[in-house]
Amino acid sequence: MADVSKLIPGQKVLLQGNEAIARGALEAGVALAAAYPGNPSSEILQTLADSAHSAGIYVEWSTNEKVALESAAAASYAGLRGMASMKQNGVNVAQDFICNLTISGTQGGIVLVTCDDPSGVSSTNEEDARFIARVACLPLLEPATPAECLSMMKLAFELSEQIGNLVVLRGLARLSHTRAGVVPGPLPESKRRPRWDPSQRWFTIPVVPRHQAMLDKLAKAGEIMGAAGVNYYDGPQRPELLVVASGSSRLYADEARRMLEAGERVGILHLGATWPLDQELILEHLARADKILFAEEVDPHLEGGVKSIYAQHVRELGIKDFFGQDTGHKPPVGELSPSRVAAALADILGLPWQEVDPAYQEKAQVAQALVAPRQVGFCPGCPHRASYWSMKQVLAADGREGIVSGDIGCYTLGVLPTGYQRVNAVHCMGSGPGIASGLGKLRDQGFGQPVISVVGDSTFFHAALPALVNARWNNSDYVLVVLDNSATAMTGFQPHPGTGATAMGQAGTVVDVEQVCAGLGLPYAVVDPYDLEATQEALYDALQIGGGLRVLIFRRLCALVQNKQGGHPWSISVDPELCRGEDCGCHRFCTRVFRCPGLVFDEATGKATVDEVVCVGCGVCAQICPAGAIKARPKEATA
Amino acid sequence: MVLPAAPFAPQPTGLERLLAEVINPGLCVACGACLGLCPHLIFLDGQVAAPDPCGLTSGRCWDLCPVAQRGGPGAAQGPIGPVLGAWQGRATARDLEGRAQYGGVVSELLALALEQALVQEAVVTAAGPRGAPQGLRVSGRSGVLGAAGSIYAGGGALGELNRALAEDACHPLAVVGLPCQIQALGAMRAHPDYPQTLERIHLVIGLFCTMNLPWRGVRDLLARHGVQAPLSRADFPPPPAGIFQVWSGGAYHELPLDQVRAISYPGCAGCADLTSEGADLSVGACEGKPGWNTILARTHAGAGLLELAAGKGLLELEPAQPASLEHLNQAAIAKRKRAAAWSEERRHG
Ligand SMILES: Cc1cc2nc3c(=O)[nH]c(=O)nc-3n(C[C@H](O)[C@H](O)[C@H](O)COP(=O)(O)OP(=O)(O)OC[C@H]3O[C@@H](n4cnc5c(N)ncnc54)[C@H](O)[C@@H]3O)c2cc1C
Ligand code: SF4
Ligand code: SF4
Ligand code: SF4
Ligand code: SF4
Repeated sequence: MADVSKLIPGQKVLLQGNEAIARGALEAGVALAAAYPGNPSSEILQTLADSAHSAGIYVEWSTNEKVALESAAAASYAGLRGMASMKQNGVNVAQDFICNLTISGTQGGIVLVTCDDPSGVSSTNEEDARFIARVACLPLLEPATPAECLSMMKLAFELSEQIGNLVVLRGLARLSHTRAGVVPGPLPESKRRPRWDPSQRWFTIPVVPRHQAMLDKLAKAGEIMGAAGVNYYDGPQRPELLVVASGSSRLYADEARRMLEAGERVGILHLGATWPLDQELILEHLARADKILFAEEVDPHLEGGVKSIYAQHVRELGIKDFFGQDTGHKPPVGELSPSRVAAALADILGLPWQEVDPAYQEKAQVAQALVAPRQVGFCPGCPHRASYWSMKQVLAADGREGIVSGDIGCYTLGVLPTGYQRVNAVHCMGSGPGIASGLGKLRDQGFGQPVISVVGDSTFFHAALPALVNARWNNSDYVLVVLDNSATAMTGFQPHPGTGATAMGQAGTVVDVEQVCAGLGLPYAVVDPYDLEATQEALYDALQIGGGLRVLIFRRLCALVQNKQGGHPWSISVDPELCRGEDCGCHRFCTRVFRCPGLVFDEATGKATVDEVVCVGCGVCAQICPAGAIKARPKEATA
Repeated sequence: MVLPAAPFAPQPTGLERLLAEVINPGLCVACGACLGLCPHLIFLDGQVAAPDPCGLTSGRCWDLCPVAQRGGPGAAQGPIGPVLGAWQGRATARDLEGRAQYGGVVSELLALALEQALVQEAVVTAAGPRGAPQGLRVSGRSGVLGAAGSIYAGGGALGELNRALAEDACHPLAVVGLPCQIQALGAMRAHPDYPQTLERIHLVIGLFCTMNLPWRGVRDLLARHGVQAPLSRADFPPPPAGIFQVWSGGAYHELPLDQVRAISYPGCAGCADLTSEGADLSVGACEGKPGWNTILARTHAGAGLLELAAGKGLLELEPAQPASLEHLNQAAIAKRKRAAAWSEERRHG
């Protein structure tokens, strides 16, 4: 990412939402920023990391989101400004700390940025992390544009310092990765000196008075945000329909209104501060319209809040019609879009609306039939393909209906055909070993199925460790397979404890998976998943031992990282003389069953061939061909 | 109105049918005839598995499986099949002592065939790294000696034969196998898509067999009796002993025969062949003469090899005792009856 500390104040630049958040943090004087990678939030920290040296701040990839926020709180207690950024799932990880931090309070400004992922494009869920503002009584800001990302970050830090509590800024996937013009402001001229006054103590007891103090802070935040101009109305004096919107949905509502040419009839109440809700402003606008539509992603956060304000004032306001999730005008699941909002507007206003021209639709359908279907899959040469291949083979050979408990990372795709659908369950970071731990304790009640838990190397450190200690302690019977590709590949190759590199590029200390296992007293072995036979032997034997937790580390660099580091060693070809094609004795084993995209079946010749553009030369497929037709020759020799 | 009979629709063969008829119902006896042909069938630690569907509706795996092919016309030759000569004998060589199961006749004949270049490789069964038996190709006496002794578990050795036959080679091969394996060899030789079997298999030595055991079941049974696998030796002494003898790490143990029978392959119950009727030579125990073998020469090739071995003084041979042959006949008849009853029960049950 770019060093955003170098931007020239007053000079408009194109910035991604995530970059603008980073710049906003720098302008607010953030001194410590920490995060665990997770799309769509990852670029925030990467941008800060790339700006850290010139800005003179500390930036780290932490082992998990809770630790990241705790580090940020440390900065706050030392009188500095700190922040933690994460995806929506990360808020759950950090929640325990958040719910206590909000009672103990904070000193220097501290901001939690959550980037939510409606539709779960790169997530296991599409959770609406705004819940944390309600649960923990925290002020919540929702920018709609990169420019607002910048300005609201500055507001968030100010606000946090004024009320002495954490402030939440919620981004959305679209906003994170949208580029728009942003005018940067100046960076702070001086730096604070970190010091924790020893007479200051931060804790949560006595609970009741501190709980009250927390509520008072929230009320105060509401006043400050109300005065900050982040909520505003745009539309006719007395609109026929009032749209109450936040985040990207504000832009969608605006666009929908334009598409329907309904500017005279529809007003939009833009809410940049969405917790606590600005009651006065909302009442003022409810009084002016009889129909109200909510536009927001994903949960009916505004819808519930506004309706509850209305309920308190129904006598003054009279009968109103509300449209939103409860009436089917806002989908309860999935991302919103301008056309979805337009459909709601059209329905309420009785306007004709067609999302796409039928002629276009027809042509699109024709075109769609021409596009080759593509399945989500592992990259060519991905070590996870080889790993799941071996798991599939071994579990079949084992024959006891083995179960694979999955986890979060590229290898989550083990649930799909690309991973031979070998994974039986996936939930959140670290839940794989936890579920395995429980299964491994059902032996006495007759559970005879072997259990494998797969975790990536980054997940291992993020959340797997407590589950492993649990399994070790309670003697749970399962095999942990650490899919160690030495990268946090899914989120963009961020370093993690096992790589020893740090966000700011300095060398950290390598935290070695083997040493951790040894320290836990776990028997472990390291295998190369590219070596199918050795991997399968080791896995089969590990499954047979029984009795407690044992670990296999499948170690092989992520194929994409390997590509950048000199590539793979083999030049692959199929010998058509040897290839058995569709005959008994093979039947397209490589392209039908193994399915690396580097191999294609040539219908014309009835033989397999290598797609040289796609194949990276890992050499794994040469081991699965029954005829020895897939030849792997050293690249130098053929060059 | 009587509708004309539906046109003849061949039933699919191949993996799907093999799974449905043999593997999934637990009838596989791990002969290995379906292994090594293709990547769909795998064998690990004594057990056959098919991780993925094959997708073909016809294929050799089902055609070659002796369990799937049961129920054809019964053998016409009497209970122990064709016999040119019946002998009892043992090897004279010292290096077989303590290694061979009984008289070491099988090993000596194999070694001789290799030495005389009648064949260049022999497919035998020997313990693999986990103790489970598996197919092995040997090409000289030391290899043969390494595989001497009986392992009472299915080893899938015909998979190794299939792999050998898939190679771009033409040298002659010998095979040692159990009756189910010898039956499968017959199917291989008769298969129109498998001409190399006829050309390359020059010597078939069959063993006598009443039943076999799945390796994993053996290991679990041993564990229940506190015996560590692998075994250095195992034997079923003749009735009425009622025990299974095992030697492990120098220690000797006896397991009750009924417990061993209980874990035997269900698929063995349908096997009608006691003496490997389709072999060139069949070899088994010799009743009342520990350390000796009963030998049935069935083909001229088999009889010739036997003669050569005796002529070189490698084997000590005597004509088989009529009483022991009669017992063998009785046992063979009993096995046929059991198999017929089993087939009948399956047809109706
Ligand atoms: C499962 C099994 C059941 C048997 N049941 C009987 C029986 O009921 N009555 C009887 O008289 N004889 C039976 N035998 C045969 C007997 O145990 C001897 O193999 C035979 O008498 C030859 O003795 P030998 O000393 O010449 O053998 P050796 O010279 O010791 O040679 C033994 C040969 O047997 C082969 N072998 C070992 N284990 C297996 C296996 N699991 N599958 C295929 N081949 C194997 C080896 O490759 C080796 O070449 C059985 C053998 C087995 C393996
Ligand atoms: S697995 Fe081998 S033999 Fe089969 S289609 Fe692929 S290249 Fe050909
Ligand atoms: S060598 Fe084979 S498995 Fe590896 S990328 Fe190429 S085609 Fe795929
Ligand atoms: S390829 Fe042939 S031998 Fe292999 S499973 Fe399919 S039909 Fe059977
Ligand atoms: S009995 Fe033999 S051919 Fe039949 S399934 Fe078992 S190993 Fe394969």
